[in-house]
Amino acid sequence: MVVPKAKGAKARAAARPSKGPVPAKPKRVPKRETSDATKIALVGIPASGKTTYFRFLAGHFGLNLPVLYLPARPGSQTIPLYGDLDEEVVLEESTYEATNPNDPEGGIETTTRFYVNRPMDDPTKLWVELAESRGEQGVLTKYPLPTKYSQFVEMKMRFRYGLPGERGRSSRAMLLHTIDEAGGIISDYFTYDRLWLDAADAEVTERQCHVIPHFDSWRPDRRGLWRRGLTLLGRFLQDAEAIVLLLAPSLPSLRDQAQQVNLARGVFRYVEEHNLPLVIAISKADKLPEFYAEVERTVRDRTFQSAFDSDNFLLQRDGSGMGTILVAHDGQAISAKQDVFLVASAVSGGDGRPLLISESGAALSPEEAESGGVPVMVNTTLPIARACERILSRRSTGDG
Amino acid sequence: MNALAEAPAPPAARYEDRQVLVLDLSRSMLAPLPEATGAVRQKIEIARAAVYQILQNVSRNGTRFGIVSFSNTPRVVVPVGEIHAANLPYVQSLVAMLTPAGRSAIWDALALGADLLREPTGEVRGTLVLVTDGWDNASSRFAPPEPNGAPRTDRADLLVHLAPPGSRLTVRVIGIGNGTERDKGVDSGRMGSFLSNLRALARATGVVATSSYQEVDTATELFEEIVQAFLDIEEPSPAELSQDDIARDAAQAAKALKSPNEHATVAHLGGPDALAPDASAPDPEGPTLEVDVVPTANGLLPPYAKDRYGPLGDAVNAYLAADYEGALQHLERARRLIPPVSYSYWRAKIALAHGDPSDAARALLSAWTASEAVSGPGRVRIVRRLALLQARLQKDTETEALVRFLEESESKVEQQPPEIRASLRALFDGLLELRGTYQLTRMGAADDPAAAARRHEAAVEQIFGGVQDLRLENTSGDRAVEGALDFIEVCLAEMR
Repeated sequence: MVVPKAKGAKARAAARPSKGPVPAKPKRVPKRETSDATKIALVGIPASGKTTYFRFLAGHFGLNLPVLYLPARPGSQTIPLYGDLDEEVVLEESTYEATNPNDPEGGIETTTRFYVNRPMDDPTKLWVELAESRGEQGVLTKYPLPTKYSQFVEMKMRFRYGLPGERGRSSRAMLLHTIDEAGGIISDYFTYDRLWLDAADAEVTERQCHVIPHFDSWRPDRRGLWRRGLTLLGRFLQDAEAIVLLLAPSLPSLRDQAQQVNLARGVFRYVEEHNLPLVIAISKADKLPEFYAEVERTVRDRTFQSAFDSDNFLLQRDGSGMGTILVAHDGQAISAKQDVFLVASAVSGGDGRPLLISESGAALSPEEAESGGVPVMVNTTLPIARACERILSRRSTGDG
Repeated sequence: MNALAEAPAPPAARYEDRQVLVLDLSRSMLAPLPEATGAVRQKIEIARAAVYQILQNVSRNGTRFGIVSFSNTPRVVVPVGEIHAANLPYVQSLVAMLTPAGRSAIWDALALGADLLREPTGEVRGTLVLVTDGWDNASSRFAPPEPNGAPRTDRADLLVHLAPPGSRLTVRVIGIGNGTERDKGVDSGRMGSFLSNLRALARATGVVATSSYQEVDTATELFEEIVQAFLDIEEPSPAELSQDDIARDAAQAAKALKSPNEHATVAHLGGPDALAPDASAPDPEGPTLEVDVVPTANGLLPPYAKDRYGPLGDAVNAYLAADYEGALQHLERARRLIPPVSYSYWRAKIALAHGDPSDAARALLSAWTASEAVSGPGRVRIVRRLALLQARLQKDTETEALVRFLEESESKVEQQPPEIRASLRALFDGLLELRGTYQLTRMGAADDPAAAARRHEAAVEQIFGGVQDLRLENTSGDRAVEGALDFIEVCLAEMR
């Protein structure tokens, strides 16, 4: 039985990064990996919102991140997503970095950061913090490394999913995974099906990688790094039971648009070939003017119940530029009505700052916001909850 | 970009419109070069004639043009600037005084030519055309790296001088003779490694650099190569375009595939079964066509056209000299000797250049009609020539982008193995066919839109599989092939 609860002080051990030689005073490495966790892959092109999604959910599972949820439709129920307090590590980030970009013979160095459970005696701080040395930060930041071409980060987050009223007893360990800081790895893997692995111990070969445009012209160290990332992703997908696809609207670059469309098509191809549930999250929905106006109205009217017709928006008005693709696959890997969500991790106040509201629901002026407030975040948990729901539904019916 | 925030600047000359001829004036240029007819003329005499022709052309089209000559040292004969009718005689007299003597400072001359094209901010933007018949034996300041890429320690690096970051440069080398022996022709091996290293530098630094090397052995070849080097200014080819440029071109071309009502010409490109048109629907352009026009990659006459086409060659030469009345007269005289489709095509081309779009449209329609009688492997290229001309006539930039890319891509992979060419051709055909499935999803032409969308996606997937397989087959990593595949990928993404 798993009952979410805060751990005692003795259980607050900080993890140490695994980079470099073992220090003189080794600290306990947190317990890692839940082998029987149900695995979900989160995928998206660079800058599609993967990092934010992970960070937001990590805060959500701490229960004390001040966030207001606007359910997608009237009648939505409590979303049964919980932090997994049986797992000491809630979030694990492994950075794979080429040791020397200028050295063709250089290797790949791995650094792992563990974000561990903390007691909630200080409710103003996030529940999860980076183990050791960054505790003072209080918030989680982007990675310090300067380039995206010499590194990628494999992220794993643990949580639990269960039905309301049956917390703990019937909840299941879940593991969300992504390849961060190098979304191109994800894009390439799904776009080019000649890269797909067919076994959990298989490896993407150098020969296969030539399907990636201009791969031959890359530096050797980057080629090795990329191949490693493709292999890690391919292996994870062997055991994954669902995929959450993040799509970003309003991409300014033609190449980014093409990359996202090709990724989406590849993901559809993958889930249909592997019979996996797929959930789509249109991230950064606050960039879509109509959606943003709808959220503001909802907040202003204090209904907190959105009637925004995302299906109509996506299919008829092409909000993410995926009209034909969604229509083609509707009813196969996904239901456009049930499995596509608009999400915004932070709604803009319209003047370059987050929209903050008071406890009574009133929007705060910039001056009032100085002294605090609740940031409005929209539907962010729904895609992952829907993915969990579909996994369990398939298990109960024996489908897949 | 910062420039957007600044006050509007006067329109700058396009980099394609700035050209410098770097002309060899070493003693060996006094040597004769045989004509195809058996006659002989001095190399310098031929070069001068070509320069006169170029001057005539650039004085009409406003191109900014300059000349650097070199023997023991390089010097600026004509600074880069517009050649006006008023100063043309003066410039011609300068050219008439060009007299060969001494040795060849090729690298120093290229560096000087680059300086003429250099922007105040340091980038080099424009076209350099080097005409030489020998090996460098007099440069003292600049040199390219050794063929293996190792830099020269005794001279400044010519490549760095030619193509600093931000540059957009075209380098064309016209080499006289094959240079198998020193001083008996251009050092083609050295020149090849120079251009190869230039391309490598461009790839590494993001510079847009186009380069070509053409060896000539006869007077006619030399004259035409020099003249065409300054007429035939292409956009950077698919092999050298950056991926962003290719994405932009592909997105532009995809519009031609997506909007049949606005880009009807494209329907001719995809083969007889591509779109399965409604047989009862009237075709506003008449029947589908083919032609036996001059098979060039860019709409201009290739070398030896006059030899090959006889009377048509005279018409084309007059056309290139902007003597459109004369071109029409030559064309009429040649009419009995050339295929009808060629006649109509060139009539349309000349009329369009002459500013008579109505006559051009009539002639083009005749060309389409005449093309029906043509068949065989050359048909596709002929159809594309007509389509390209029609696109220009209609100012249909989307179709022009599409046709030009298809043509240039195929011409640049001619050296590839037959199976690579066949695969690429099949992908292009598949891309054109997508036009039909896309329309079914967009125009309510299908009873079941979801089924139509699925058919379209299945077609996309099939082509995408072909793209992947061709990338794997392209073991040489040929950049023209890669560029074509990049183009197809973006087109596919646009067709959604």
